[in-house]
Amino acid sequence: MTSGLSQSIYITFRIAHKDLLEFWKAKMLIVTFMTMPILMMSMFGFMFPQTSSLYKNAPMAMVVEDDGSLAIQVADQFKVIASSTALFRVQDFPSYQSARDGILTGTVKGVVVIPAGFTAAFNSHRQATVLITVDDTNPTMASVIYGETASIFRMISDNFGQSIISKMCSSSDPSFVSEPIGVQRENLIGSPTNTFQFLAPGFMALTVVMGTLSGLGSAIAREKEQGTMDGIMAAPISRNTIVGGKMLSQTVRGMIQGFLILGLSMLLFGVKVYGSPFLIVVVMLLGVASFAGIGIIATSIAPEQETAMMMMMLLQFPMMFLSGILFPMDQLPNWLQLVGKMLPLYYATDALRKVMILSASFNQILMDVVVLVLYSVTTLGIAIPIFRKAVTR
Amino acid sequence: MKPIITTHNLTKRFGNFVAVDRINLEIMEGEIFGFLGPNGAGKTTTIRMLTTLSEPTEGTARVAGFDVRTQADEVRRRIGLVAEKLILYPRLTAVENLMFFGELYGLNRGELRPRIDELLRMVHLENFKDMPIGSYSSGMRQRLNIIRGLLHDPEILFLDEPTALLDPQSVRFVRDLVKELNEDGKTMILTTHIMEEADELSHTVGIIDNGKMVAVDEAAFLKSKFNCETLEEVFLELTGRTLRDSASSRVPVRRVMGRV
Repeated sequence: MTSGLSQSIYITFRIAHKDLLEFWKAKMLIVTFMTMPILMMSMFGFMFPQTSSLYKNAPMAMVVEDDGSLAIQVADQFKVIASSTALFRVQDFPSYQSARDGILTGTVKGVVVIPAGFTAAFNSHRQATVLITVDDTNPTMASVIYGETASIFRMISDNFGQSIISKMCSSSDPSFVSEPIGVQRENLIGSPTNTFQFLAPGFMALTVVMGTLSGLGSAIAREKEQGTMDGIMAAPISRNTIVGGKMLSQTVRGMIQGFLILGLSMLLFGVKVYGSPFLIVVVMLLGVASFAGIGIIATSIAPEQETAMMMMMLLQFPMMFLSGILFPMDQLPNWLQLVGKMLPLYYATDALRKVMILSASFNQILMDVVVLVLYSVTTLGIAIPIFRKAVTR
Repeated sequence: MKPIITTHNLTKRFGNFVAVDRINLEIMEGEIFGFLGPNGAGKTTTIRMLTTLSEPTEGTARVAGFDVRTQADEVRRRIGLVAEKLILYPRLTAVENLMFFGELYGLNRGELRPRIDELLRMVHLENFKDMPIGSYSSGMRQRLNIIRGLLHDPEILFLDEPTALLDPQSVRFVRDLVKELNEDGKTMILTTHIMEEADELSHTVGIIDNGKMVAVDEAAFLKSKFNCETLEEVFLELTGRTLRDSASSRVPVRRVMGRV
């Protein structure tokens, strides 16, 4: 028999091992456990895309009402660019009305109209305008389609502008005259981020935290309900080892899910990790610790497993939307941003993003780490006495 | 015989509700103490306090010479608990369950292996040891539940309704096992609603009602005192015949204080 601290550590691991063994033997549970991260990433990644890269070959109507040569030239240039970038699949429509009907029936997502008088306006040195109509039933998609269409026309317009300038003043650089100050993007990392690069760290943090919260909730509540907690409590072991063991097993489960999300994101969605894997693990562990206390408090006061699970849902649901996981916090009203910044998940997500995308060092995420540590210490400091009290009622 | 469990004004309150009201009790070493009472009388709460699962609100209790409040770990090393709800994990096998609980008592794997084999043989479960206990019958589970409480060879075994919902064969097996363990020197605290079981097994019977001990003595003495044929008649005489479905059914009853 060993004694003291080493025995307590051993018992903590033993309780965690038992929990994981039970989990391992629940095959259906494992299937759901593995499927959930895949579903979450796919659903959120594909259903709420933030960039045009996800709208490939969107059907677009082209109506040329002007029979001038310029109108036909512009329409052709648009088709070439749309096709080479795979942004749009352009179909010609005889009239605006028929193209508009196409939006209503769902055959096209937008309409480009080159109106009558387009060539005449250009030739008489007045601005020639094209009209764009998009399917407004999906505001995100409408905004992306409008933006990309307008951007193609800006490119075409620039080319025309530069050729006009070169004719008018041949001694100057046309690009200097048309755009004296240029802008060039220099990325902090190798390539610009995509939606999944933004979502992956948030989902990793969310999964670890949700897994720990709901896992801890059901693990403790189930043992209380089925009576096995009495068997553990009747043994000569510290109450802290019970809390420690439960936390450890749920942490392992949460971390496996978190890394499953990362692996899938890398494999399926091209997510790249630029920072230190060690720091990623540290931040995820701190995320777990910061929520474990809250989970223990909720399960200690819940009379049964069902109530405990509902309490966890109540905690998780607002966190998903207020912690900057699905969209940047800056998009929220100020007061909601304040609420979000009071939640530890915000700091875990922020730190994970900085490490994974910007390759931040420990010092650069120190503020997030400090908040998470403070949260962990405070909530666990409150939770452990409540747990002890609750189980010896 | 010397007392192995003593309580002094042991009390448990939940808010304004007094679940156990100033109980004074002595249970002798080596005896089987039948702890009886209607539903909600305070049996389980008393057992929970004696097994350190619940803290007394007032009063003291010493188990195997140790205070349940201040020397809880010492008490825990010396007691075994066979609760009404099975303290077993259905997805795990018998061996996995017993290894886990044995290690909680500080027994190492080397010590545990032969002990588990011996106990499994004792309850005829050696051929089922690697099966998940979710696939066991009620009787098999209860036999396993009992040996789970014996893993660390405790001096005192608390048995909370060990034969509830079992078939007659399993009931007989468990009763014989209780006798056998008692003959080997274990003190047993047995709670049951089956009066004939209490009569058959117990050296001393304690009856609790409305949180108070209303009788503690040998079953034969109580039967003779109340001029009753059976322990069940004594029980009904002392605790009344009103159904105990609600708090309002708590009625004053005659009190006979034997050894209390």
